[in-house]
Amino acid sequence: MTLYKQTALLLSLFLLIILTTVLVLNFQSVNRGVEERLYEDAKNTATSLSLSLGGANGDLSMMSTMINANFDSGNYRKIALVDVENNPLYERVTESDLVVVPKWFTKLVALRAPVAFANVSAGWSQVGILHIQSDSTYAYKQLYSILMDLLISFAIIAALSLAVLNLLLHAILRPLKEVQKQATAITKNEFIIQENIPYTKELSDVVLGMNNMVSKVKAMFDKGNEELKAHKELEYTDEDTQLRNRKYLIDRLPAYLKVDASYEGGVNMIVAFNGINEANERIGHQQVDKLFVAIAEIFRKSTRDINESIVARINGTEFSIFLPGYSESDAIKLAKSIQKSCFNAIDSAGLNQHETFVCIGIYEYNHKNSISELFSRSDNALAQAKFNNEHIHLEKTDTAVEVMGKVAWKQLINKAIEKSRFSFVSWAVVDIKNMKTVHHVLSINLILDKNSSYGYAQFMAPAIRSGLSCDIYKKIVTMLFNDSVSLLGASTYSLRLPQEYLQKQETYHEISELLRANASMLAFKLIIELPDRLVRQDSKNIREYIELFRRYSIDIGIFEFIGESEDYQYLKELRPSYIKAQSSYFLTQSDQSISSLRLITDSIGISLIAVGVSDMETLEMLREKGISIVQGKITETLELD
Amino acid sequence: MFKLKVLLILSLLFTNITHADEPYVEDSLLEKISNKYKIYAKKRFELLQETLDNVRYKSDLEKLEAVNDFFNEVRYSSDIKVYGKSDYWATPWEFLGKDRGDCEDYVISKYFALKYLEVDYKKLFFTYVRSTKFKEPHMVLTYFETPKSEPLVLDNYNRKIFPASQRKDLTPIYNFNGDILDEADKKNEKSHKKWDELKLNMQRKKI
Repeated sequence: MTLYKQTALLLSLFLLIILTTVLVLNFQSVNRGVEERLYEDAKNTATSLSLSLGGANGDLSMMSTMINANFDSGNYRKIALVDVENNPLYERVTESDLVVVPKWFTKLVALRAPVAFANVSAGWSQVGILHIQSDSTYAYKQLYSILMDLLISFAIIAALSLAVLNLLLHAILRPLKEVQKQATAITKNEFIIQENIPYTKELSDVVLGMNNMVSKVKAMFDKGNEELKAHKELEYTDEDTQLRNRKYLIDRLPAYLKVDASYEGGVNMIVAFNGINEANERIGHQQVDKLFVAIAEIFRKSTRDINESIVARINGTEFSIFLPGYSESDAIKLAKSIQKSCFNAIDSAGLNQHETFVCIGIYEYNHKNSISELFSRSDNALAQAKFNNEHIHLEKTDTAVEVMGKVAWKQLINKAIEKSRFSFVSWAVVDIKNMKTVHHVLSINLILDKNSSYGYAQFMAPAIRSGLSCDIYKKIVTMLFNDSVSLLGASTYSLRLPQEYLQKQETYHEISELLRANASMLAFKLIIELPDRLVRQDSKNIREYIELFRRYSIDIGIFEFIGESEDYQYLKELRPSYIKAQSSYFLTQSDQSISSLRLITDSIGISLIAVGVSDMETLEMLREKGISIVQGKITETLELD
Repeated sequence: MFKLKVLLILSLLFTNITHADEPYVEDSLLEKISNKYKIYAKKRFELLQETLDNVRYKSDLEKLEAVNDFFNEVRYSSDIKVYGKSDYWATPWEFLGKDRGDCEDYVISKYFALKYLEVDYKKLFFTYVRSTKFKEPHMVLTYFETPKSEPLVLDNYNRKIFPASQRKDLTPIYNFNGDILDEADKKNEKSHKKWDELKLNMQRKKI
């Protein structure tokens, strides 16, 4: 319960108790006043009537007449005359019919009309004692009317007081709301500076303290951001040509060499320069460096229009042009064009084309290749290129013998989608500091029958080839939201959504409909993992997704992070729960880079998770780098608490 | 049954002895009166105590005479002179302390002295009368042997006690006994304005 509600409740209760007490006391006072009035009236009548009765000289008939005359005036409940020995001489009693007020009121208010007494004498002799009790009917009517007036007055006062109280509390606690907003923002790793410092001393101290803290965290983030950007320049860029370097290429390759890569294959081109030593001797180092800058420009221009192409200088004389989804025929055309341009550049530099020339090895890779395989095969192609006349050689990938043909896979996957023949499997992401599972990563199997199924790695490549990967994701996302109860094993699950699926036009609408209908019934906490490549674009599309997930309290994670962004402000905006990167990424980063990354992530509460950890050696190296949350085969062998 | 009777007699005896030992004006109050009204006032109260002690075991009539004679020695003075008020019912301590008062003050002092002497208070009445001689309102204390018998009049004008029929100079108007009215309605603390004031002053030991 908020402080406002607690205070409002307490003060309202206090106010109502005070008002009720005042009301009751007021009414009791009026009640006593009325009783007193009844007595005084009775007493006055008793005295005056007793004096009158004295004039009757003890004649009972005369006295009765006098009593009747008084009684019939209607304001008495009882008039009685008793003699000196307490024997009744005469009595008149009326039964009040209290129709003037509701019955509940007469039950609630026990009005006691006191009896007044007076001595009655006749000359020197004692006649007796006169008893007079006033009629309470009128008093009841008067009291009822007073009670109604009091209730109405107090109801108005209570309503006005509560309204004023509400306004006052809002005014007093408004700064506190701002403080709360700021504190909540900090909890969510959103850092806002409160411009309006509250007047109240205590609140102003809190706001100043939080502002100070937020400023420091912002400074930390900015420092980390600047440092990481600077390190990225150093670590991923070739100083001479401003092209990407070998390290960058290696960090990027895992995103293309995986079962569910966007492209099933493509081309890696190694462009090597021969006779550089001779060139150095002939025109000097500076001119050769200029030649490389010109060559780098040729590479940039040649690949500018090729989607997702990576040009990297992998050593002093060799360049890699990595072209996902590119065909061998196009690659040969491109190689020839590059070769020609390079010859021209060499010629322009005043070098001998027979002494200094370009060889291009083209390897047509497959997404199932490993990085080392890709490099060795590319090197092999380059070696071949050096020995042929054209100095260009194409090496094709080994075509694996598929058990099932493309058509058969397509049919199988289509049927699985139609019949919902997918099942979820999961594996743990472990914090090795305290040996606890952080969350579970979801994957899917394609079920063949009761005893056999295909794993994700087996069916996803054919699915991509058949253009069915988005349909599979659509199916499993639907299954996840509609049947979340079947996954009750863990409290937190993460699901990785690929770029192709997210970028599909209808996906946003489908997911938002699913969330609208099922998010409240989700039986576990869900983290949606988005690819870093997509997130850092900061497109309208991705902002909509983030907004949507936040609305339904679904956390966001980032995967395939390699820290190649120009700026890391997007992390501050997105505030993911964690960032997942290949273990090799963390291991090849310099200590300064990791430290800068940690500065950024720690300042806004993002965890770093290394994926693909398969052996203890890697685990230990990661631990040394300060990465304590891991995902991969190793987690199966860890003994968890 | 016999035991019960013995117990009853013993308790009555004890009550009487206890009461007999109690002075009409307790020592502490007497001290205060002495301080306020000087030594002669104290002497008056000691004389009153002596008078009351002398008739303690006598008949009602003897008690009436002793009390009437004693208080009739006090000088008459109007309330306006003594208290600066047109009408004031003084406590017996004020009356005897100041050694002056008006007719109501005589009646009050006589009434409480007789009550002290265990004269049944139901036999005593404050009687509002009209003095035909002075043609003014007056108050006397009346004593009724029985409720229906002719009362005796204890007056401060005529110092001797006479049956009411012999007091042609007085026209009775109204008889009043606050204690009787109080007894009739024990729940209510009020019975008669002047009587209620007097009771309060007596409780506060007003001197």
